[in-house]
Amino acid sequence: MKASPFFRSAPALLLAVTLAAQPSFEGPAPVVTTVPAEDQRLAAYHARVDEVLQWRAGRVDLNNIPGTMDMASISILLTLGRDIEACNERVLQMMAEPGTGPFWMFPAVCVAFTGRDLLSPEARASIREAWRTTRQLRGDTENHWVMYYASLYLMSELYPNEPAETWYTGRSSEENLAEAREWLIHWMDTTTTVGQGEFNTTHYIGEYAIPMLFMATWAKDPAMKQRGRMMLDWMFAELATVSLNGVLRGPNARSDEGSVIERWNALASYFSWLLFGNTPPPAGYGGWGLYFAPVAKNYVLPEVIHRIAVERDGDYVQRDRARTRRYWRYSDELSPPVYKTNYLRHDYAVGSTQGIVNDVIQAHVWDVTWREEDPRGKHPTMFSLHPHSSGRMMQAQFATYPEPMPVGVTFEGKPSYDSPDKVLGGSPYEMVFQDLDTVIALYDIAPGERFEHINGFFSKDLRDVTEDASGWIFARGGNAFLAYRPLAPYHWIPYLHYNGGWAKVRDDLGGRVLTSPHLKNGTIVQAASADEFESFEAFQAAMRALPLEFTLEPVPSVRFTTLRGKNVAFTYGETPVVDGVPVDYSKWKLFEGPYLNAEVGGRKLTVTHGRLQRVLDFNTLTIKDSVRE
Amino acid sequence: MKLPRLLLPLFGLLAAVATATPAYDFYICANINRNYVIGSKIVTTNGIFQRTDEGGWRHFGYNDTSITAVAFDPRDRNVIYTTALNGLWRSLDGGATWRICNSWDMTEGREVAVDPNAPDHVYVAFTDGIAVSTDRAQTLVRREHGLPERGKFTQTIKVDRTRAGRVLAGCEVGIFLTEDGAESWRRVHATTDTVNDLQQSPHDPNIWVAATQSAGALISRDGGLTWTPLAGVPTERALYNVTFDVTNPDRLAIGSWAHGVLTTEDGGKTWTSRNAGLPENPRVWRVGVDPAGRLYASVFQETLFHSDDFGRTWHPNDLAGSLVNYFFTLPKAAN
Repeated sequence: MKASPFFRSAPALLLAVTLAAQPSFEGPAPVVTTVPAEDQRLAAYHARVDEVLQWRAGRVDLNNIPGTMDMASISILLTLGRDIEACNERVLQMMAEPGTGPFWMFPAVCVAFTGRDLLSPEARASIREAWRTTRQLRGDTENHWVMYYASLYLMSELYPNEPAETWYTGRSSEENLAEAREWLIHWMDTTTTVGQGEFNTTHYIGEYAIPMLFMATWAKDPAMKQRGRMMLDWMFAELATVSLNGVLRGPNARSDEGSVIERWNALASYFSWLLFGNTPPPAGYGGWGLYFAPVAKNYVLPEVIHRIAVERDGDYVQRDRARTRRYWRYSDELSPPVYKTNYLRHDYAVGSTQGIVNDVIQAHVWDVTWREEDPRGKHPTMFSLHPHSSGRMMQAQFATYPEPMPVGVTFEGKPSYDSPDKVLGGSPYEMVFQDLDTVIALYDIAPGERFEHINGFFSKDLRDVTEDASGWIFARGGNAFLAYRPLAPYHWIPYLHYNGGWAKVRDDLGGRVLTSPHLKNGTIVQAASADEFESFEAFQAAMRALPLEFTLEPVPSVRFTTLRGKNVAFTYGETPVVDGVPVDYSKWKLFEGPYLNAEVGGRKLTVTHGRLQRVLDFNTLTIKDSVRE
Repeated sequence: MKLPRLLLPLFGLLAAVATATPAYDFYICANINRNYVIGSKIVTTNGIFQRTDEGGWRHFGYNDTSITAVAFDPRDRNVIYTTALNGLWRSLDGGATWRICNSWDMTEGREVAVDPNAPDHVYVAFTDGIAVSTDRAQTLVRREHGLPERGKFTQTIKVDRTRAGRVLAGCEVGIFLTEDGAESWRRVHATTDTVNDLQQSPHDPNIWVAATQSAGALISRDGGLTWTPLAGVPTERALYNVTFDVTNPDRLAIGSWAHGVLTTEDGGKTWTSRNAGLPENPRVWRVGVDPAGRLYASVFQETLFHSDDFGRTWHPNDLAGSLVNYFFTLPKAAN
């Protein structure tokens, strides 16, 4: 099994760690069970937290402090009350050469707070001095700003009443605090009214959860502390709802080359493991996950969220709204809405986004992902995409010129962006519609685009792949039956795997890419549980019998009766129609489903499981738990 | 270092260029950190560099990889403004200390310009519009009346040196002009993609040239009111910037990732590719001309090159691995 820590935006910040002695990573996959007793849940959670702390602390070699101590391990040692002198020494070393930007800031905050009563005055002063001498970049992305402002907020609270010349911003503690507070509240308002921009991210979830945990733990202002706590519930409730057996599948506002295929191998799995105990953690506990651990015991997962993650009575549809990354150019709106559909069953899940491209580089728009009892090393997913690469889309979302970024980002943790066989990223030439476990993806690629074909991913873990004379390709994945219908001629190329965004080489682990070199194109995928049919052949027969009409000219258009009996008509550039009724996205709620519900503009999320309910109300900053009789 | 006040306007001094002792100070904003990503440790020196009398480069101010432009208060060289990823920064002490001037809702500053006839007035181009200060950036407010709700990504902003409050801005959808200190803007030329650079001729203030993403180069001979294409400049790929040669009114140079260096020596009638001697297929990020007539080309992540014959021959200058975002000239500060 291949494994990698997730060093995305700032690999230099994290020390290389070995994979030895990570019990939950190396041991058997956990058995997913509901733990009804709060003390047992908490004890199990604390045991997992302790596993992380002990593992990372155990990697520290006091004879090789620079090589084995990063800011995560310093924070962990401080939390454990161990090797304080070594921590002092290393802090002084590290603060002599501070990093720049949010990926340095929040680790530094973690050290500052875990060490505020333990580090020597010299070490503490060196941290403080770094916040004077080194300009911190705010970044250009939502997660950057969350980290930046949460860090600036907490440091300004930690060092109140200090004059402007003592901060890199040239502003006083109070000015910094006010700006940070204002933006954090603005971000929470936006997220709780029209949705998150970086939703369901396989890795960036840490860049939100960790700063919010820091806020919940260390903010002096009780309102900001409460906001941090509530945002954690908000994010983890969503993670619980859209993950399958602990594995976050698509759609993802952002993913990477590794986790979009090996779906489990993501920082999100660290949080599922830590909070829900329902999947193994990734190697090295996800790298950044180490910063959650020192203060993880300050967060208690509500039972209602625990139950959503581990106890599902049946199939469900969750329809939500989110928004895109900021479009500086080439859009009528700064952050247009994105409409998410998730359909989860025991054996598989189907998810997609409808709407404009939400992230030009790392969006993963749709997939079918099947359940694997042990997901490690598995590629349990199927989807197609247009491998779009363009300077124009880069310019839409970044302050850049047309030429540099398509190649430049391939050296910045997005290695496949400009590759014709890539399997990650959104395209302005893709339109998707999903109804339950049917997905129709249509493509109308402009002539002259860099890549004039589409790619469909066929996993090494599929079984019985059959190219049927009917035009359907049938396959089995886990306990799911899958039918994939290419709408234009295709050929196969090998799938070569990047083991994460910073991978330097590609591995031939098996699997294929269906490549269809036609501008007018499309894919239909239908999934079903093996339990619904007497045999795989029976499933195939059922699929062959489904009415299907399609044309590719003048634009791709499909009329299909799904396995669930829905008559779907979908034409590229037009509103999908189901059973004669056009889909009305204007009525889409912020969250709508059996577990999560919220109105657009409401600032209030209702989390429900069975008789349990928790309401997170950002209008009043209240958390209300209730139990139905 | 405390620098004395600067009393003479820039372009008056530039009439006496190309003398043995440079009568100017020459600055660049350069990013030399090839592998920097947000959060990593900066291992090279980036930001503002001043050319020394020996021809080297002296860094001052913060080590910031994201600085896009620099401007100075013409009355006091110690007052410095830079645009950068965080927005607008200001120093009042010659770069020793800095203050962020913008609120959180302004980000990714593209360019800053000081009005030489109203030096308290500072204009800033942002990814989503324009902000103005009338108090040396102590406060900064948006002034966008007349700009479109969408399409106001502003890459460049320049003040007309002949009249206070007259400013041109290059946006996603065209060139915009204000004649009242940004109280109101009007579009004077429409484009379908971003206007990347605007420059006022040092020889004739009525002449302006624009470098655009998809409309080639444009020239205005009436102070920016009307614009026409400069024939012979390719339009199919983006032009990143344009520069005049203060020593010769017939010379201009254009920098482009796709086209490299283009020059004219007949006032824009004909254009010549001047890439021989640069790295193969040079991805030119910026060109600049110093007041002695030396032409510079920043080639993406290569080095800074210079030419003393306006592009016929090139010589590596310094700053290996650099990306120069900005060239800026000021009359030389007295010692």
